[in-house]
Amino acid sequence: MPPIEIAKAGMGAVGVKVPHTMAERLLILLSRYREASIAVVAIVLVVYFQVGSDGGFLSPQFMSVVLRDTGRLGLIAAAEVMLMITGEIDLSLSAIFSIAPYVMALMSVTWGVPLAVGAVVGVLIGVLVGAINGIITVRFRVPSLISTVGMLFFLQGIVVSIYNSQPIVAPVEQPFNAIFGQSLYQPSDALLSWHGVTAFTPFLWAVLIVLALALALNRTTFGLHTIATGSNIIGAREIGVRTDRMKIYNFMIAGGCAAFAGIINTAQFTSADPQAGSPFLTLQAIAAAVIGGTSLLGGSGTVIGALIGAFVVASLNNGLVMIGAQATVSDIYLGAAIIAAMILSIQVDRLRTRRRL
Amino acid sequence: MNMQTIPPLAADAPVVLEMTNISKSFGAVTALVDVSIKLRRGEVLALVGDNGAGKSTLIKILSGFHQPDTGTIVSQGKEVRFASPRDARAQGIETVYQDLALIGDLSVFHNMFLGREYRKRILGLNLLDNRKMRKQAQIYLDTLGISIPSVNSTVDLLSGGQRQCIAVARSIYSSPRILVLDEPLAALGVRESAHVLGLIQNLRQQRQVSVILIVHNYNQIFEVCDRINFLHSGEVALDASTADTSEEELIRIVKSGLGRKAIDAAAAEVRPGIV
Ligand SMILES: Nc1ncnc2c1ncn2[C@@H]1O[C@H](COP(=O)(O)OP(=O)(O)OP(=O)(O)O)[C@@H](O)[C@H]1O
Ligand SMILES: [Mg+2]
Repeated sequence: MPPIEIAKAGMGAVGVKVPHTMAERLLILLSRYREASIAVVAIVLVVYFQVGSDGGFLSPQFMSVVLRDTGRLGLIAAAEVMLMITGEIDLSLSAIFSIAPYVMALMSVTWGVPLAVGAVVGVLIGVLVGAINGIITVRFRVPSLISTVGMLFFLQGIVVSIYNSQPIVAPVEQPFNAIFGQSLYQPSDALLSWHGVTAFTPFLWAVLIVLALALALNRTTFGLHTIATGSNIIGAREIGVRTDRMKIYNFMIAGGCAAFAGIINTAQFTSADPQAGSPFLTLQAIAAAVIGGTSLLGGSGTVIGALIGAFVVASLNNGLVMIGAQATVSDIYLGAAIIAAMILSIQVDRLRTRRRL
Repeated sequence: MNMQTIPPLAADAPVVLEMTNISKSFGAVTALVDVSIKLRRGEVLALVGDNGAGKSTLIKILSGFHQPDTGTIVSQGKEVRFASPRDARAQGIETVYQDLALIGDLSVFHNMFLGREYRKRILGLNLLDNRKMRKQAQIYLDTLGISIPSVNSTVDLLSGGQRQCIAVARSIYSSPRILVLDEPLAALGVRESAHVLGLIQNLRQQRQVSVILIVHNYNQIFEVCDRINFLHSGEVALDASTADTSEEELIRIVKSGLGRKAIDAAAAEVRPGIV
């Protein structure tokens, strides 16, 4: 046998498998530009509602409503995306959404603590609850689908027991309220004035946070390790990724986002309702995440897609009513959209896994 | 056979790694019982054994993925405890796992640098230097002669053999002291296997890297390995130099399914000093 030579061409012979059938191309396009495909859906919806409402849909007043809903939902949807990428989910976010602003308002009315300070405390509570959710999930190996349901009831129980389910009227402190959600916009105001901007602050905050999360996900070690954790947890661990920590960190981010969304909600309505966040809110957020193109299998997802998905959900919720449908009918469309998005998502995932074999 | 391809290991090559009396159980399953192995600088050690013998478990203890129930690891003369694969990598021990430990959803170049990413500061933020990683990965794979469609493609779009090549390339990128390869040739064709075996030869000759190689093809063992450890039911049943053993003999011992005691007895009778 001749001695082994290390020719440069040694492995050039490995079958170069460039994926180029139609299905594969479509699959790659879909998985790479998931945001683009959902953006197309969003545009079609806008056009449909704009025509159906004789131009009312894109009016500043109506857009303010839709984008406020988008912001609130988008924050929670983006939070779920971070967790879904690691292969987890958090069903307690709606309770965090309720408890954080409740604590803020309570501290304000009982001790006169400024809302801004209360808001920081509220967000920290959200982060803490996230950390507890994460630790229960990774240390005690309780699936997060279960552990966070426990946390949901636990927190919801606490917040309604404080004042016997009574909402607290929160004081108004400017500029806190205007910055974080209260709309000062009047039809006579210019859109690009300060008052005009306050019509959209919840949405603008959501955009800011979603962009920050997108940056973290796509351009940092943290994001890389988050994806690695959800894509192949054993492999990630074998190569030294601290998968448990990555999960806990993402639970903390999710808790913080949900708390912030709740605070925005209270700043807008100047009231802290212990039942502001119903579990339905979390489910809509998960729907928005999936509609936006996040995989149910972990390992991939897009927070920008989630924000667009939240816009689609908010548009359906408000637009259908606007063009004259019964409020109940919008749920039918929403349900159908979620099922369609899930089927598509699973198909894309299955194509991907099949390619692996 | 092929003795000319293995330059003899220097008689005084220092011991770079010693695992002593390692035991490990998973609940009721005993994977390893008092296993001891010794590795010298520039040595290629073959670890063979039936499926389920405990080979992967042993190397996962060395890589810091599992912690042993009992036993010690001495690396470079010092006792070490690896709490995680990070610790082992920091000590210059790189591992190619049987499952390759590649992340299907990440690109080839991100996989290459996972856990030791290049970063740069932009506006005070510590961001990934993707351009540098992409370029380095491309250059490195080119010098190794590994050809893939693109370093940007996600790993799940690569063939099994290509993935194995990426995993091997990743493990040698950081110039490890000790390289551990768990069935690195399993999915490789004849040419690619020869190529990887050539790489191993190169590493040991030029950089004095020590290698632990798990392979099932005994032909390949005799091509590149200095020594063989045969693991049987969680014990080292045979520790022999390839120069003193023939492929036929090894196959006979492995096929016999005998444990350490039986082999010791037989060896003492036939050829004193083999063990
Ligand atoms: N994480 C684990 N949990 C429980 N049992 C395990 C685990 N890892 C390995 N084992 C058991 O330990 C024993 C040794 O397994 P190991 O993977 O080390 O064998 P191996 O020699 O690498 O086999 P193969 O040649 O098939 O790769 C087997 O009985 C296996 O079932
Ligand atoms: Mg194995």
